[in-house]
Amino acid sequence: MALSLSESLQIGVTDIMMRKVRSLITVFGIILGVMCIMVVLAIINGMNKSTLSWMQERGGTNKVEVQRNWNYDFRQGGEATLTLAEMNQIRGQLPEAEAIGPIVSAWNSTLQYKGFSYSDQVIGVLPDHQKMENWYPDKGRFFNEFELRENANVIVLGSSVARDLFKSDDPLGESVMLKDQMLTVIGVMQEKYWENPGGGAFGGNALEYMNRQSFVPLSTMMNKIDAGSLIRSIQILAKSPEDALSIQKKLRPILLRIKNGRAVFRVSSAQETMQQMEQNSKIFSMIFIMIGLISLLVGGIVIMNIMLASIKERTREIGVRLAVGARRMDIFVQFMVQTVLITGLGGVFGIILGYAILDLVSGYLGMPMLAGVQMILVSLLVSVGVGLIFGIAPAVKASKLDPVIALRDE
Amino acid sequence: MEIIKTQSLIKDYLLGKIKVRALAGIELSILSGEFVAIMGPSGSGKSTLMHIIGCLDSPSEGEYYLDGDLVSTLPKSALAGIRNRKIGFVFQSFNLLPHLNVLKNVELPLMYSGLSARKRKEKASQILDSVGLSDRLKHKPNELSGGQRQRVAIARAIVNDPSMLLADEPTGNLDSQAGGDILEIFNDLHKAGNTVIMVTHDSLVAERADRIIEIRDGLIYNGSLAK
Repeated sequence: MALSLSESLQIGVTDIMMRKVRSLITVFGIILGVMCIMVVLAIINGMNKSTLSWMQERGGTNKVEVQRNWNYDFRQGGEATLTLAEMNQIRGQLPEAEAIGPIVSAWNSTLQYKGFSYSDQVIGVLPDHQKMENWYPDKGRFFNEFELRENANVIVLGSSVARDLFKSDDPLGESVMLKDQMLTVIGVMQEKYWENPGGGAFGGNALEYMNRQSFVPLSTMMNKIDAGSLIRSIQILAKSPEDALSIQKKLRPILLRIKNGRAVFRVSSAQETMQQMEQNSKIFSMIFIMIGLISLLVGGIVIMNIMLASIKERTREIGVRLAVGARRMDIFVQFMVQTVLITGLGGVFGIILGYAILDLVSGYLGMPMLAGVQMILVSLLVSVGVGLIFGIAPAVKASKLDPVIALRDE
Repeated sequence: MEIIKTQSLIKDYLLGKIKVRALAGIELSILSGEFVAIMGPSGSGKSTLMHIIGCLDSPSEGEYYLDGDLVSTLPKSALAGIRNRKIGFVFQSFNLLPHLNVLKNVELPLMYSGLSARKRKEKASQILDSVGLSDRLKHKPNELSGGQRQRVAIARAIVNDPSMLLADEPTGNLDSQAGGDILEIFNDLHKAGNTVIMVTHDSLVAERADRIIEIRDGLIYNGSLAK
């Protein structure tokens, strides 16, 4: 005897088509709410994705870094530097590390070759540096442990350095001058490239600064080129993000011991940074989702009120339906379906509008924003849910009408 | 066979805090196939009686048998089914749904009895044909004359083959020409074996019936039993 769902849907669609403008205005809050939630989720999703791809390009989430602790008051004594011997001591205590990359930089080092010169960063590193950065020579080779031990006069050039200094000549085997040292070029690094979404100082390539670096053995740097220089930062590559966190924990007391209890170094990990960023983006998204939910709540209340008013207006219709045999359940379902249809439709409009906005905004910011299928499903479910919740009161009111009184209504 | 039988039917209303007795013990019997008119001045209780006979309302006390079944004690959910299957209503103000076309209006009772869309359409157009409106199926009620609207309402009332037709002042909103046509339809339905119960205060209209039941102050004054 009951009215089937498809019949109720048909009645609902007829009712909505009859009152197009009113239905659209009714559902405005839902449209805004769904749109808001969808846009925010997509922006966050896009932000996380681009951060992750940046991190991965920079050696992944397995990295631990040791740097000067800017929060430490250096007037209490101590220096945020390590000698080669101290470095080797640390290296010996971290056998689980995949690679260790202490860095001694010489900024504005001028390399000279046949009257041409090139000034940028020359860095003293271990052979581990390749693994560290997941970055290998394109031509020739990197220096090895033997050359490191022997303070060998060898250099590996960044791709931009080689291009600028040697033009079309083959740099391998040639000698360049750095200060008073003659260095033999044994390799040229691969070109690094990462599309900078916002453009920037190096044009489209956010990693161009790496192509301008050159590498010499750490020992050569510390003993010959820049004698007396000290290590100011170390990077450590772990086997997994979990390992990175445990190495980070282990490293702190080691450094404190070497530095006589002075916290001159800060130990950080990409994993930790990521977690922090995730935390931040979680808070950010919670705020916007709250805004979306509040507008959905307001939208729901508006719909409830309009449906209640429309039931007052349609009392006689309800009376007629009851007189010809509609049960209370039929009336309840009829109004419930109508409310859910309206909010569901609002959800669809919200998703379409959200997409349009995402398209505009991501084009404007040059940032990828990803709206996944599950996001659309969530938006749709939420809007249908709002209809289900706020449709109850009007539907109950309609189904409770007394047929005699409803038929008498003018 | 008695289609309607009531015993000491009483209906009380609360008007504010005052109890008002609308029906004070109605003893009524109507036979299947009868054409009766219920008459009485306003406030006499004839509308209340019609609501109870039509299962739109339940009595406060007393018993009401419809087709031999006791219905006065049934819950409201069960009354909806009885209204759908056994009773066809015709109202003074037609009570058609304005946004539905003629065909859809007539299909309404069939929809609530769970008939398929195809069968509904078939049956509704057949009935509309029999009241002479086969060329108005897609019209909206406001595109029809009063007489035509009442014919749609009659079609809606009889489409589910009810046990009885309950008409409340069916000619009240019509001119005498259209009203006469409507009464003619009731007459034809009666001749075809249908039970017709008509509430009216117009004695000229009431005279068309086999029997006139007069109600005053919530009691049957005259015509309680079938001749």
